[in-house]
Amino acid sequence: MKLFDCNASLGAAMVRPIRFAEDAEGLLEEMDYYGITEALVYHSRQYDDSPVVGNEILLDEIDGFDRLHGTFAILPLQTGELGSLEAILEKMKAKSIRAFWAFPAEHKYLMTRTALASLYDLMVEGNIPLFISVNESCGGISGWYLVEKILSDAPDLTLVVTEHGSWGHDRFFRPLIEKYENLYIDTSRYELDGGISDFCAKYSAERLLFGTGFPRWNPGGPILTLVQADITAHEREMIASGNLERILGRVRL
Amino acid sequence: MNLSPLVKEFMEKGRSESCPVIDMHAHLGPFQGIYFPNPWPEDMIRTMDRCGVRMAVSSSHAALIDTRENIKMADIVRKYPERFRAYWVINPNYPERTQTEIAQFSKTEGFVGFKFLSDYHKYPLDDPRYEPALKYAEEHKSLILMHTWGKSPYDPPALVEKLAVQYPSTVFLMGHSGYGEWEKAIQVARDHPNVYLELTAAYAVNAVIDWMVKEAGSHKIVFGTDLPWFDPHYGIGCVLFSRITDKDRHMILHRNAERLMSLTISRTAFQ
Repeated sequence: MKLFDCNASLGAAMVRPIRFAEDAEGLLEEMDYYGITEALVYHSRQYDDSPVVGNEILLDEIDGFDRLHGTFAILPLQTGELGSLEAILEKMKAKSIRAFWAFPAEHKYLMTRTALASLYDLMVEGNIPLFISVNESCGGISGWYLVEKILSDAPDLTLVVTEHGSWGHDRFFRPLIEKYENLYIDTSRYELDGGISDFCAKYSAERLLFGTGFPRWNPGGPILTLVQADITAHEREMIASGNLERILGRVRL
Repeated sequence: MNLSPLVKEFMEKGRSESCPVIDMHAHLGPFQGIYFPNPWPEDMIRTMDRCGVRMAVSSSHAALIDTRENIKMADIVRKYPERFRAYWVINPNYPERTQTEIAQFSKTEGFVGFKFLSDYHKYPLDDPRYEPALKYAEEHKSLILMHTWGKSPYDPPALVEKLAVQYPSTVFLMGHSGYGEWEKAIQVARDHPNVYLELTAAYAVNAVIDWMVKEAGSHKIVFGTDLPWFDPHYGIGCVLFSRITDKDRHMILHRNAERLMSLTISRTAFQ
């Protein structure tokens, strides 16, 4: 079974994880240890530093590594730090960037249509997925309330919510899954006993993406949970890699 | 991908005949803040069978709230003696009940020790309200599973260390391994023979198990999942893919628990 990790990062973060991959080669070594074929990645500097710096570091770091697929961290375009929409698109085309990450707490911006309308429109128009951790916050709202705010502003956005944590979030995200058909959940912390099979029986396997959250989280957990989940082989393949490949395959730049 | 025989067996079959997992931190029944697909004993046994978990040592969620519910766990153990043992929850908010409950605990089969949930019950581990249970445990060399969390005012690893010195014959399982305060928790387990790290939720933190094994030793770590909260395969996967040996994995997943449970064999008459 091919594993395509939708949620991994590399680089020496400001707060050092117990174990991490300093560079692309290090990340590939980690992926080989766990049997992960490909990964959609961001660099720790895209989070810890300005995306202006971090996005370029990511591009340099993964250049020539076909198993690693890059993402761009966003900022509101109004400050001009990331350049024009056209310039961003050109760079994405040139470097095969097909996904965005948002880190609004660290980068201090509002995830509202006022701040992000042109980026939201670009994402919807081009089917470009946006990734955000449920641990994010901005402007006094956080978690699933923030997720609902994003989706109410951009209902057709392909949004992937990561690391929903171990304390039971199904009551939060199932109503959103039912309302927004392009909302996806990563499995890095979907630890609930019977959670994956129960979710698939009700919503199909299309809405789950395999993720590890490396280097913060232990990839062994989501791997064995998925490999042994009480679902069909086809559903397992969809979660392991098929859904992410489908999402990235429909991106239009 | 170079899998050890044990990892390969779990990846292919989901379980291992040679590694019958013992879950030292389980619960039972629905709970306030979470949806459980599989909350009842029969559901849990199906999960345990799927994941190769031989036995779960549980405190019921209901007993965490109202300790008069503790006695119902005896029925579960009696019905499924090969699959369940129980902890008796002590709630310091109702100190007037404690002596009576300890007496009840002492004559009820199937219980292996006490469960303290200080972060939720809002009394620190060294509060006098816990003393009757601690004194009983010391006299009878019992297990105590305590919820522990890093930097908590109620149950940080430093308070476990204080009790470990004060009650040297009691076996303390640090539930969640003092989550987040890893260095102190590992030091406490390393330095005190009667303290063990328990892995529920902690296992998810990348490489923390490697650190525990290196500094405290795999003989000081037991496995748990909070079942019916977490899929045992999640925690087992974290143990299996840690950079440790198969011998370490056996110690963590069942051998240490077997050794600790044998200490209380006289209290578990269903063996």
